[in-house]
Amino acid sequence: MEEIIFFLILLGIGYSFGILAEKKHYKDIKSREQETLSLAIASFGAKQPLPNASEAKLFVGAVVISSDYFKTFVMALRNILGGRVVAYESLLDRGRREALLRVKEQAIAWGATEVLNIRYETSTIGGNNQKGIAAIEVIAYGTAIR
Amino acid sequence: MGFKPKAITEEVNISKVNPLVDFARLLGAIIALTLVIYFILGLAVDWVVPQLTPEQDIWIGDTLAPAVAPQLGGEVLEEDTRQLYLSELLEDLCHPGDLDETPLTLNLIDSEVVNAAALAGGQLFVTTAFLEEVESENELAFVLGHELGHLSARDGLRSLGRGIFVLLGSLVLNFGHEGSGPDVIGYTLNLNRLNYSRSQEYAADEYGLESVVGHYGHGANSLDFFERLAARKEAFPEGLVRASEYFQTHPLTENRIQHLDAIAREEGWSMTGETTPVPSGLACADFACNESPPDS
Repeated sequence: MEEIIFFLILLGIGYSFGILAEKKHYKDIKSREQETLSLAIASFGAKQPLPNASEAKLFVGAVVISSDYFKTFVMALRNILGGRVVAYESLLDRGRREALLRVKEQAIAWGATEVLNIRYETSTIGGNNQKGIAAIEVIAYGTAIR
Repeated sequence: MGFKPKAITEEVNISKVNPLVDFARLLGAIIALTLVIYFILGLAVDWVVPQLTPEQDIWIGDTLAPAVAPQLGGEVLEEDTRQLYLSELLEDLCHPGDLDETPLTLNLIDSEVVNAAALAGGQLFVTTAFLEEVESENELAFVLGHELGHLSARDGLRSLGRGIFVLLGSLVLNFGHEGSGPDVIGYTLNLNRLNYSRSQEYAADEYGLESVVGHYGHGANSLDFFERLAARKEAFPEGLVRASEYFQTHPLTENRIQHLDAIAREEGWSMTGETTPVPSGLACADFACNESPPDS
């Protein structure tokens, strides 16, 4: 019985703080996206000529986002039944947007006119089975030119 | 080719599902699934158990018996004259024609846990702490009769079979779900096992009372143990840890007493009569009590 109560408390904390953190993060992401909107991002094919530029530099933006207790538990239940892991969708979305924002912010500070060929890499840190925290790392990188 | 900046206005990458609704659906589905599987497996066990021969029953009992004493926190007393007395009482209590092919083995366990248990294949367990609690032979006979009822109905095998399935099931299902919160599946199954064992307990109670009435001609005082327990439980709602261990999966003591009284009335069993005392020194090894009070 105590175990269930303890678990429900953890679940409640995970849920409320998770929602809070997510809302705060989205608000932040949206305002920064507005600020960095002017910087163009373009992807080129391998055989296409690149735009002329005097300088080019690689920028990397990495972000690690952790799941909360509630999400992790829902994920664990999902593991049994399968289906869309709705709880983790926002986690990855936030990760990608935040990583791209970090690239763009650095590039703007450097004075970039354009960022070329943005790529994403995603990896997991820890995980359910290792009983550690479930967290994801998203890295975005691209070549800025000026 | 000019660049026109455009802000993200629509969240296409995030499903518009309330996380709580998603959670509730998942939880409901898993609990429902567990229950369905459990009941199917339960039916399978109920079908298999009656097919077992008494020899197989005895073999299972003999194989598992050595594991019981450590679970009850003690050792089996090999040479104790109390065992002979209890075994004889047990033979007297057995319903005529019942358990003929199963030899009854009474294991006396030196333990501080108040408990009596039936396994399978005629293996019965009684702890010394339980013997200390007993005040008359009638109530001792009722508890022994109750355990005989379990043996007769092969409840031990049934719960064992279910236990094995529960173990297998949770092993399989736990792959996805280790280390995050309590075991939802385990809890669901446990609650059901309690329910299941409750109906077994009522049946075993009836068997026990019938045994007592058959042996003594009346059922007087046989329920005293339970009544004392009920009274003590009121005094210590949570406190009666040791004794309550025996009754965790058992119905509420008051309900059991009422149920038995109703059956006695129905069957026309007399619930009044003379009390048979327990042989003196039942609480001490070999009935030989040390007269000097123990140091405390």
